[in-house]
Amino acid sequence: MNSTIEPEQAVEVAEEQYATFYVGNLLLGVDIRQVQEINRQLDVTNVPQAPDCVRGVINLRGEVTTVIDLRTILGMEQAEVTRTSRNLIVNSNGESVGFLVDRISDILTLRSDQIGPPPTNIDGVQGRYIFGVHTLETEILVLLNVEEALAVRANDAQ
Amino acid sequence: MSCEDELLDEFVVESNEHLADIENQLLSIEESGADVDVDLINEVFRGIHSIKGAAGFLGLTKVNDLAHSLENILNMMRNHELVPNSQMIDIMLRAADRLQGLINDVSSSNDEDVSSHITELENIATGTVTESKAPVAQVTSEPSVAETPSDVESTKAAEDDLDAQIARAFAARDEKASADEAQQQTAATEPSAAQAPTPQKVDKKSSAKKDSQEKKAPETSIRVSVGVLDRLMNLAGELVLSRNQLMQAIGSADGNSLDTIASRLDQVTTEVQESIMQTRMQQIGTVFSKFPRIVRDLSGKLGKQCALNIEGKEVEVDKTIVEAIGDPLTHLIRNSVDHGVEAPADRTKAGKPEAGTMDLRAFYQAGKVRIEIEDDGAGIDPEKLKQKAISKGIITQERADQMSDREAVRLIFHPGFSMAAKVTDVSGRGVGMDVVKTNIAKLGGTVDIESTVGRGTLIVITLPLTLAIIPSLIVQCGEDRFAIPQVNIVELVRVRGDELAERIGRVQDAEVLRLRGSLLPLIRLSEVVETKRTESDCDAAASSAASNCEALNIIVVETGEQSFGLIVDGLHDSEEIVVKPLSQHLKQCRCLSGATILGDGHVALILDVAGIAAHEEIQCDQELNEQKGAEAQLGDEDSQYMLLFSNHDDEHFAVTMDIVSRIDRIRADQIDAVGGQELLQIGRATMPLIRLENTITARRPEAKSRLYVVVFEASGKEIGLVVPTLEDIRDVTTSIDETTFTERGIIGSMVLGEKTTRFVDLFQVAELAHPEWFEREEVVDQTDDEPPMILLAEDSSFFRKQVAAMMSEQGYRVIDCEDGLVAWETLQSNEFEFDVIVTDIEMPNMDGFEFTECVKQSQWSHLPVIALTSLAGSADIQRGIEVGIDDYQIKMDRDKLLNSLRNFAGKKAGNNRRELQTV
Repeated sequence: MNSTIEPEQAVEVAEEQYATFYVGNLLLGVDIRQVQEINRQLDVTNVPQAPDCVRGVINLRGEVTTVIDLRTILGMEQAEVTRTSRNLIVNSNGESVGFLVDRISDILTLRSDQIGPPPTNIDGVQGRYIFGVHTLETEILVLLNVEEALAVRANDAQ
Repeated sequence: MSCEDELLDEFVVESNEHLADIENQLLSIEESGADVDVDLINEVFRGIHSIKGAAGFLGLTKVNDLAHSLENILNMMRNHELVPNSQMIDIMLRAADRLQGLINDVSSSNDEDVSSHITELENIATGTVTESKAPVAQVTSEPSVAETPSDVESTKAAEDDLDAQIARAFAARDEKASADEAQQQTAATEPSAAQAPTPQKVDKKSSAKKDSQEKKAPETSIRVSVGVLDRLMNLAGELVLSRNQLMQAIGSADGNSLDTIASRLDQVTTEVQESIMQTRMQQIGTVFSKFPRIVRDLSGKLGKQCALNIEGKEVEVDKTIVEAIGDPLTHLIRNSVDHGVEAPADRTKAGKPEAGTMDLRAFYQAGKVRIEIEDDGAGIDPEKLKQKAISKGIITQERADQMSDREAVRLIFHPGFSMAAKVTDVSGRGVGMDVVKTNIAKLGGTVDIESTVGRGTLIVITLPLTLAIIPSLIVQCGEDRFAIPQVNIVELVRVRGDELAERIGRVQDAEVLRLRGSLLPLIRLSEVVETKRTESDCDAAASSAASNCEALNIIVVETGEQSFGLIVDGLHDSEEIVVKPLSQHLKQCRCLSGATILGDGHVALILDVAGIAAHEEIQCDQELNEQKGAEAQLGDEDSQYMLLFSNHDDEHFAVTMDIVSRIDRIRADQIDAVGGQELLQIGRATMPLIRLENTITARRPEAKSRLYVVVFEASGKEIGLVVPTLEDIRDVTTSIDETTFTERGIIGSMVLGEKTTRFVDLFQVAELAHPEWFEREEVVDQTDDEPPMILLAEDSSFFRKQVAAMMSEQGYRVIDCEDGLVAWETLQSNEFEFDVIVTDIEMPNMDGFEFTECVKQSQWSHLPVIALTSLAGSADIQRGIEVGIDDYQIKMDRDKLLNSLRNFAGKKAGNNRRELQTV
């Protein structure tokens, strides 16, 4: 399906790997270099007065790590913890942050020319943390800009 | 490359050490003036010389040049060729600053232009500066106007430099640098030429600086004494041993040895922790040492005179605190110079010495470090602050009117409040006192301010010794556990379910706790930490509803100026917790200061008490309590702390707490009966017990397995009163009916909570039970012609009657007066000849202190004065000693009062014979 790319571009484009996961029905991906680990440590400690999207904090081998409910950032209802729920620990500005996601999917290798711009009808706050989409056979993979997503919620909090 | 980098890094560290104290050293050199301290100069000289040598070796030409010029001057001073004055020192200080700047950015130092500094230094050498009478500031603003060094000598000196440096530069095999240097050297000798390239260099310089800052953030290092390292090494060995033992013990499953190893491991861990903490401790002097320079420069700039005295440089605190406290302190010091200390003319007008004095003190206090900054300047006018706060909309006029001066001065810490009445370039840089306060609060410290207009200002900072590990109390709230730092905790109060109505009150919407006569605002932790989830909402509501009939655990916490009670669901252990920072996404949670990981691996959040207070808008309540306290003291002379108990369901009794030494809880089978006397074993001693029903008309209580014993002291021995049920300890206004019950052992009765309560006189009860114990004190020497005459001043009729009756019972003659004034008039009337004065403290018209003062300044100054109080407070006692009170006795402590009377009456009567008898 990606056969339409022009050859001379293909030489230049770099390949990137993306860890993909589901939040609700949405398939999301983040640059795998930002992912530190994926774990099942779902026993979080609530943080009073924290913004809505903060699920709580966990003990990540001695480091107190904030877990963020990606659903609330994406404007969905708060997540229910299920059998497939995982924490996707990403590295953001030198500190670990966990994303609570509903289900982990595959690792995809994509060339940058396989990534399209976000649809124009997504805009505003949510548009900021989507830096691209990739069309799979049955689904659309939305690529998440971790820094922006975290920044959005930091701003919300203020 | 790495080898060279390492060398450079080492150079930077070493040079910074050499330069660390150079400011103060130069300032001392300035102070000693012509009276040159050669040792001191030598020390500086050696430091600069080492820098020069190393810089030459490393090819750091500019560092080398500057160091050389500085060294030159120091050499001349050392040889008495130059007399240091403030202009010289000024230039040298700036050169030293520059040198430090070059060293900190060592990789691009060769691109910097230091010619102006070198020229200035050379001008000192040639004597140009010494003659110049130009004020410091002017020199600073025109650094390039240095005259062309036409002086032959100086040129020659410069040429000498050149040779030496070029030689070294070649050795360092950096041709480019040497060329650079040669060019720069030329510039130095011809300042007019040097001016042209300067502007071009500016961009390069700043960009280079930025680059280097980004790419290089060297790990900070710390110096550790070998002794501490040795101990750590030792402890590490111990730790390994303990582990080995542990492995063995687990292998052999030996329960006993496990205990031993566990305690050993515990001990070693504690010691390791302490030693490691010690490696982090640094002297606060490293921060303080920069202040003399700041004060000097700033006061010079502002045309003020200001001396800074520093005490407590050796006080050690954690490295993080030393690093973080610098900026807030600098701000406070600058503020003091800028706004605190007045201009010399104003000071003279106010009758103060021209030079202002500032004291910077650090010392340990109660496990914390206290830093005080005190100036003798103009102080802060609370009225002005109030006006300003009102005009800025920070407070309302109403609030301002209620504010005490102390509180008003604290407005300074309010965000959006600039202290400067006028904005100068010293303050008004957007850093307000609120930032200082926040920064100090971040360190777990507090800051407070006191000021007297015209007298000066005192700023007090308290800081914890360390941040990394703090002892904390773990509390439960809902499903979560939280840690509260012990430093914030004053006490724990448990209010039983049946006391809730009495102890917990409501003022509008706020809950308050009655605690020893004052009202303490209460905050429910569950409300503060309420999470937004609906289910926990329900939980919280349910639990708070449930807690209405359960006991409440209240943690009384304080933060500097505020204290309040925190209601929690449960208490766990006190633990030493390791503080982990919260992620930056949670920075806005003001009620939290961090997180920690508990023994079971769960995360517990650390509560920030100050943050909670701010969140819940707890007012600065100290004033409130102070007022309350004052009222209580004024109005409640008749009020007494009473222990309320019942012997039987329908019979209630009270005794005054003043004479109760303690209350024990015992099992009924602990009581021995020997020869009809009940005794209680306490340690090796036995204490006789008495029971109310055996001495006065009282019903026999039902037998209980657990009893209380109220212990008091009478005629030199401890006696216990057996009490089946304790009810309360309360402040009771003693409006006592003395007529209904006239039995011996009962003082009177009162109605408390619709129950008639009899007020028991413990001494009389004891006497009724065992008259033989009290026989010897019956006698007030009957052989005397006249029994001693006592003047008694006491405003409460109840106590007056009690005390007077007790005294006459002992054979004294008593004249009683209802206040100090009446007593004073009685004394002056000369109607009676008194031997002893016994006075209450709190009285209308003339209180005990005033009365005593009058007496001691009159012809009756020889009369001994015994003061009666409810509970003797130390402040009162101090005041009493000042006015001349001879002794303090507690009103209801009959024995001691009588003893004291005997002593003084005996002395007063001049009857030595009798005194000998009593002793």
